[in-house]
Amino acid sequence: MSHLQVSGVVKRFGAQTVVDGLDFAIERGELVSLLGPSGCGKTTLLRMIAGLVQADAGRITLAGRELAAVPAHRRNVSVVFQSYALFPHLSVRENVAFGLRARGVAPAEAAPRVDDVLALVRMQAFADGPVTQLSGGQQQRVAVARALVVQPDLLLLDEPFSALDRKLRETMQIELKSLLKARGMTAVFVTHDQDEALTVSDRIAVMNAGRIEQFTDPATLYAKPATAFALDFVGLSTRLAGRVTQIDGDRLAIDTAAGPVRADAGFSRGSAVLLGVRPERIRLGAGGADHNTVQAIVSDVVPLGARTHVYAQVVDGDRLLCELPGTVDLSGTRAGDAVTLHWPVADTLVYPAAA
Amino acid sequence: MTAVTGASPARRIDGFVWLAAPALAYLGVLYALPLAMLLFKSLSAGGSFPSLAGYAEFFGDDFHLNILWRTLRVALLVTGLSLLLAYPTAFVLARARGVVQTIILIAMVLPLAVGVVVKTFAWSILFRSDGLLNKTLMGLGLTDEPVRMLFTEPALVLAAANIFLPFMVLPIYAVVRQLDPRLVEAASTLGATPLHGFVRVVLPLTLPGVVAGAAFVFSMAVSMYVIPSLIVGERSQTLAMLIARSYLFLRDEQMGSSMSAVLLLIAVAVVLGSSAWVRRLGGGAR
Repeated sequence: MSHLQVSGVVKRFGAQTVVDGLDFAIERGELVSLLGPSGCGKTTLLRMIAGLVQADAGRITLAGRELAAVPAHRRNVSVVFQSYALFPHLSVRENVAFGLRARGVAPAEAAPRVDDVLALVRMQAFADGPVTQLSGGQQQRVAVARALVVQPDLLLLDEPFSALDRKLRETMQIELKSLLKARGMTAVFVTHDQDEALTVSDRIAVMNAGRIEQFTDPATLYAKPATAFALDFVGLSTRLAGRVTQIDGDRLAIDTAAGPVRADAGFSRGSAVLLGVRPERIRLGAGGADHNTVQAIVSDVVPLGARTHVYAQVVDGDRLLCELPGTVDLSGTRAGDAVTLHWPVADTLVYPAAA
Repeated sequence: MTAVTGASPARRIDGFVWLAAPALAYLGVLYALPLAMLLFKSLSAGGSFPSLAGYAEFFGDDFHLNILWRTLRVALLVTGLSLLLAYPTAFVLARARGVVQTIILIAMVLPLAVGVVVKTFAWSILFRSDGLLNKTLMGLGLTDEPVRMLFTEPALVLAAANIFLPFMVLPIYAVVRQLDPRLVEAASTLGATPLHGFVRVVLPLTLPGVVAGAAFVFSMAVSMYVIPSLIVGERSQTLAMLIARSYLFLRDEQMGSSMSAVLLLIAVAVVLGSSAWVRRLGGGAR
């Protein structure tokens, strides 16, 4: 049985169904992200796991224990809140010791554990100071230390990096991930930031409208998004509307505004589809037999340092995005130039067109 | 009582201070000056200054000490009772939304517009031997003859706590409203029972409001005159009534000013002490 198992969980607020019969399971020691736009139900799901909100239906079990009747303070699930929710009237050390005191751990036994975890997050120097004077990054470390010191069965983190500036965020993500891995902690991150999800997680659950669209490892999620929503939400992509005109063995022929394009099978003739291509799969020039080749007009060339984005318009208005390494010389390519672009047939993603 | 919001960073006097000049001048002439005269009078006896004779007479008389003790006891009881009633009310008020909150706030503030004399009369009507309370008790068969309520200390405490209640609720409400509900959730996910979370998180963070409200109510209750005059009358006097008697009937200005100074000292000590306490509590909280 999985460490955390969520089955058929439903939550409604009034007439609105926020979490809609959701199932998922994670193993001990896994770092998992719930990734989705605001309002997709990810925070509500987290709050149900923590016991801060009651589910209307379904089961949640943690370490083999059914949680429905267990109040938040007896679940042994720690939460790092988006605002960190540090106790403003307590010092750093008192904040971290809070959970141990609440569990009745004797001060003599608690003190070394608090010191250990403060050392882990490199906050010993601030231990006796007030939490209100700390920077955002320091507050986050205290919040993490406070959550970890009680050795929870599960750590939940609600948008833990959103209050930090970009550079610090990336550092903290790597730091926190290795810290959690080193402790063998099972953790669920809630985030709307795909980079954060890709950085910190072993697996990512893409959530949309109260359901999980896809639950897989970051590489698969990026390479093979299961739904058009997942394609759109994670990473950049070119999308082309089309219609299947012919099925040739395991290949589809699809008519698009950019001309005929081939893709792997899985749809019936005549069905309307949405094609997706990752920008770094698209290359300049004509491709071979295993490639789709299209003509377009360059609309913009955006040098981004390590890479360059080329936007190209096809006749009917669909726009292709091609990402090239920054080392490719594009000095001769300007807006208005006609270009030939190609990408591997195998990298052409196909989804049913939105109804 | 501005200390509720905590110490402000580096106070600097600027031109705006002059905007307060008219008010300061007004208070100076009508308040500080008479106060100084009062203190001067309390410290002079038979034409000699300074002299502690007035204070010696006050503190040397059991009758006076009894009244002082009763005044403090009543003020403490009033403060305690209104705190007991106000603390949960402040939470309801802070959690309420929309119309409900407006209704509670109006119910809280509107009685302030009614004079204290009127409210006290209302209470004395309720407490009378043929008043509503006694009629109800007798009607229910809980008592055969009217219970003496008017002219008793419990009646005084009850009436005063009711009249001063808004001054306790509002400062506590102001603090509770700012309390981040995430803090309570954080406490519970860290393993704190609701009681533990309340004692270790909610109570300390709302204490500044409690102290401010208690200081308000205590300083009003210790110096109240109208309410005890109408509820208990001359039978059991409070310090304020004694002062009035000294001035108005006995024409003993020295006694009156000494007792006024004692009362003033108590009030000032409570206000200064509580605001220092609030500042210390607020120091870490912001």
